[in-house]
Amino acid sequence: MAIDTVPPLIAAQLNYLLSHSPLPIKVEQMWSGSKNHGLLDRFTLVIPFCLDYIRWDVIYNALYPLAAPDIIFGPEDESFRPYYAAGEEGDLKSPKNSMSDWNCKDPTRLLSLILELRELYMTYQRKRVGEVEDERLKFELSTIVSREGIEMYMSSGIEKTEEVKFALPLLGVDINKMVTGCPWRQKQKIFLQVIFPVGRKYMSTPSAPRLKLVASPELKALFSIEDFRLPSWLDGMCMAEYLPILEGLLQSQIVDAVSSIDVRRKFIVALAPLFGRPVEADPVFCRKAAFLTSSGVFTFLVHFSLPLQFPKQQPGLMLQSSQHFNPSGAPVKSPVITEFPWSPRWESSEMAERFFDYLVEECLNFKKYCNESLLQQR
Amino acid sequence: MERTEAQNSTPQGRYTLLPSRYSSEDIIFCIDVDTESLVEMKVTGPNGRPITRLDSIKQAILLFINAKLSINPDHRFAFATLAKSASWLRKEFSSEVESAMDALRLLSVDSSSGHADLTQLFKLATHEAKKSRAQNRILRVFVIYCRSSIPPQHQWPVNQKIFTLDVVYLHDKPGPDNCPQKVYDALVDALEHVTEYEGYIFESGQGLSRVLFRHMCILLSHPQQRCLQDLVDLPKSLTKKSPTADSAPGEENPAVSSQ
Repeated sequence: MAIDTVPPLIAAQLNYLLSHSPLPIKVEQMWSGSKNHGLLDRFTLVIPFCLDYIRWDVIYNALYPLAAPDIIFGPEDESFRPYYAAGEEGDLKSPKNSMSDWNCKDPTRLLSLILELRELYMTYQRKRVGEVEDERLKFELSTIVSREGIEMYMSSGIEKTEEVKFALPLLGVDINKMVTGCPWRQKQKIFLQVIFPVGRKYMSTPSAPRLKLVASPELKALFSIEDFRLPSWLDGMCMAEYLPILEGLLQSQIVDAVSSIDVRRKFIVALAPLFGRPVEADPVFCRKAAFLTSSGVFTFLVHFSLPLQFPKQQPGLMLQSSQHFNPSGAPVKSPVITEFPWSPRWESSEMAERFFDYLVEECLNFKKYCNESLLQQR
Repeated sequence: MERTEAQNSTPQGRYTLLPSRYSSEDIIFCIDVDTESLVEMKVTGPNGRPITRLDSIKQAILLFINAKLSINPDHRFAFATLAKSASWLRKEFSSEVESAMDALRLLSVDSSSGHADLTQLFKLATHEAKKSRAQNRILRVFVIYCRSSIPPQHQWPVNQKIFTLDVVYLHDKPGPDNCPQKVYDALVDALEHVTEYEGYIFESGQGLSRVLFRHMCILLSHPQQRCLQDLVDLPKSLTKKSPTADSAPGEENPAVSSQ
């Protein structure tokens, strides 16, 4: 974003929004409303909604800096008219809102406007979903409507079949608190996205909805959403039955994931008497550790990376020379080594000893590999 | 001397890995650009071309950065030079190797600097350290010094320690016309004066690149996880524990002393 061609009052409001928004809102593009001034006074915001994104165009006018911006919603949302009597004083149907009470000099205004509109949009979508003539959907809605933090979305269009999408936050438990020394600044969240087709005809066995789990990105240091197998949605099931089963399974797997941190920790600590103090190791999730070792005058690093399924899944091993460099000056690295003696049933001290014995031999191969790669460069 | 102790040792010095603060690093390399950086190393390069200290230093820094990023791709690096005082070479922190290579290409020696003062460097570092902390990162300054007769000076208030200082010192063999020991002592003094976590200092007068590279690897040690320098036992030697009839093939003497 070229700050110096965005008018300052607009830039102040946009920057405030980007740095203070509780949701990860992004700017997709910026453009100018007029060829004459070329100032960037229009932009598209990409706003998370219902585990997907909605795009709204924010239209300022550089020539009228005091005025509130217009917001243009997506093409599917023609009937979304918040503040429909915006600006009309004394109209009982439109209470004072962020638009009618605009202050261009206040940098917080754009963010409050967008968040307020997003809340209204949620209400609008809820109403649309509630009006759908589908008995099954009406029933499903009634069983979850009291859950906190739900978002829903009705998608329709000439080419698309009608679908209703729900985003359901799962697990009331605070995962951050379960991890000692947790570095996450934000609370980690897991959502279930449920997509029902809208079927106006009566069906004896309604089809299962499409299901997807979505989690905040930092969670992957502890737990893999991708590797989690969703329980099957049995015929005739409803969300009220499915959710407790899912949450029970998720909860127990997360508890397991937290206790496996210490299994990895124990392994790293067991390596230290043989490999020395690691130059760096991850003390919270225990996913990585690097050691500095030598064989004669050949000094090299040993990198261990521990997968979430350790010890069922073996560690990744990689060696890095301190004395051999490729043409761009980077130290020569081995490929990731997978062929070493391994059993998940060994005690961590035995695992460490086996690695030591293995590397006493293997480092000579690595030294050869490094010398050969230097010769190839000549 | 009050210093933030790393958490990862029992009182007997046995290694533990307790859950603790683990911040990504912002590292400022401060490289001596006095003419003594152009002193030749002992071994020559391919085709017998001489290698200067500066050449080895550049290679050592690339080694360090590549290794550091292999461990954790979130660490970042910036560059400064030291003549009479410190000045920025590239002040934006970056975790891109390309960016480091571009900065190192700009590195050159202009003239003999005479004295050396680290005060400005510490001021720069303090300013950056505050920014790093706001992002839950820690700042480290890595000084690489090459002068055999000029102990660096500094003026610093007693209790301001918000970055870690590491030093690598390359010098000539001691003789009647120089005082590398005095220089080393001044560097140790500066280190103990300003460092937040345990700082490490290595020196070498041997002119061997391989020794410099080994020191750089020990300096990969994350400041929040270090033991006292006296207890450093790296690199660990991978030799068979029990002697067998046929000893490990082609074994040279174990690595030269830890200095």
